[in-house]
Amino acid sequence: MAKPERKVQHLMQSPNKYQIALLSAYALALHGFESLFPSPVPWLRLGLANIVTLITLLLYGLRAAVTVTLIRVILASLLNGTFPGPAFLLSFGGSITSTLAMGFFASATPRLFSATGLSIVGAFFHNGTQLILAYFLFIQQIEAVLLISPFIIFLGTLTGTINGIVCEIIIKNLKKSWKKIQNVDT
Amino acid sequence: MNFREILKVTTFADRILFSVLTLLSLLCLIFIRSLIPASDSVEIAVDGKLEYVLSLTEEKTVAVQGLHGTTFVEIRDHRVRVTESPCQNKLCIQQGWVVHGIIACLPNKVVITIGKTGEKGSAPDAVTE
Repeated sequence: MAKPERKVQHLMQSPNKYQIALLSAYALALHGFESLFPSPVPWLRLGLANIVTLITLLLYGLRAAVTVTLIRVILASLLNGTFPGPAFLLSFGGSITSTLAMGFFASATPRLFSATGLSIVGAFFHNGTQLILAYFLFIQQIEAVLLISPFIIFLGTLTGTINGIVCEIIIKNLKKSWKKIQNVDT
Repeated sequence: MNFREILKVTTFADRILFSVLTLLSLLCLIFIRSLIPASDSVEIAVDGKLEYVLSLTEEKTVAVQGLHGTTFVEIRDHRVRVTESPCQNKLCIQQGWVVHGIIACLPNKVVITIGKTGEKGSAPDAVTE
């Protein structure tokens, strides 16, 4: 039996450090931008930075996505002044877990989910990790966490879907412009 | 990109995932309150004897006859506090609003238990004055 082709097709192979820096800057800017929005729960965010993470994941692969996420989370917390504190731990845990989960689903089941589905997976893991971390770090009351989790998962699914669609549109347009460039070149 | 194009791009698994997560979280949002055992009882005991069983949903002030006088217990907005007490140190009043737990006025031997703490026997049993 022939081994099924498991290799993921990334649009571009290995990113150079300038691309990583540029993507991290985009992510950081979105991260800062979304913290201007008021939110009903302190650790609930729109997850706009996840758009950049997901695009990086789909274009350059998991390694680049993790790098961009790490740079974004650490720099953002340094700029916020929350660096080693609990808010940083929540942000760090959630972002890394969601990036790894998206990377896993993108490579293990490449055809199953589109960018939208991956974004929902990412949002779910992000919120899930944060709820668990919040339980261990702050609340320690399982009732409170259980009461709040459906609300957070629901909002996370909605924002995840919107982010995924935005991601889809951006990737589509990027592909278009690359084709144009290639046509001009050849 | 209009709505139909977006729908075309998403896969079947996307839609399943979205529907399952949305439905599940909405259902939980509605039913989770009934799944968690309601702990809204307020029990007031004087000298170890249960005198009042009230609910946190009530809005009222109770005058509890203690050993040395009357302790006024107020229930409002799902919280409980002691507004007046004949005791010396007024620790029970200083405790302020309590949502879950115990307010004990030891001199007056009034113990207010809010919510089911699950360990009834842990209420102060050695009283010092």
